[in-house]
Amino acid sequence: MAEPAAQTAFAEEALTHLDTLYRGALRLTHDPDQAQDLVQEAYLRALRYQHSYQAGTNMRAWLFAIMRNLFWDRFKGSRKEDVSLDDLGEFVLFEKLRDEGARPEADVLDKIAASEVVSAVDKLPPLHREVVLLVDVEGFSYKDAADTLGVPIGTVMSRLHRARQQLQKSLYDYAVESGIVRPGGMKQVPQT
Amino acid sequence: MRCEECSDKLDRYVDRELNDTEALQVQLHLEGCPDCMDHYEFEAHLKRLVKHSCDCDTAPKAFREKLRQILS
Ligand SMILES: [Zn+2]
Repeated sequence: MAEPAAQTAFAEEALTHLDTLYRGALRLTHDPDQAQDLVQEAYLRALRYQHSYQAGTNMRAWLFAIMRNLFWDRFKGSRKEDVSLDDLGEFVLFEKLRDEGARPEADVLDKIAASEVVSAVDKLPPLHREVVLLVDVEGFSYKDAADTLGVPIGTVMSRLHRARQQLQKSLYDYAVESGIVRPGGMKQVPQT
Repeated sequence: MRCEECSDKLDRYVDRELNDTEALQVQLHLEGCPDCMDHYEFEAHLKRLVKHSCDCDTAPKAFREKLRQILS
């Protein structure tokens, strides 16, 4: 066990990354109580293995790795089905909106509520969801995301690519269902 | 750079993962190509939207305190 002062300092530093871990756990489990359990266990484990953390390296990535490994240990049984992602072909929301005459395309994004974006993220299979969480939500580099997930950078890039296509498809479907976008019905945009 | 190549590199440009030379090439293309610029702005906007939509979840105060006690 480390010196009490050193342990306190370690715990304090680790706790500065709590929001990242909690958000990640919440998006992975979809349940606040399970997220708290997972994060608490991750912190206890981190404290136990603090000797394996190299000072000066990316503690946030190290902690996130512990948390997501615990998540995958717990949900091992469902792992296989979770990895599947429908093959959409190439789905590029920007091009889809442009083809339908929704211009400027970004206006559509402004009409989508945050809760809809979160639910589109939640619909991704966990292996794809966690890449979006790391790279888009937490701003990890591909390299840090790859280290955190224990996969090559190329895997991060391909998962991210597919995740974004799926996410964009979900947002498109929502935009159509809610009338933000009318497929084929927006050809006549008022000329200004 | 052609639009196709720019489009291939757009994700990495938005994620700031291109090296300086590649990033500059994309930047120069964007400055001269309104279509690709629109596409870039859309992707950057979407990335911000995903971030801000998920960002608002923060750890409850009571949980933070509980952890602080457990860990000290
Ligand atoms: Zn272009």
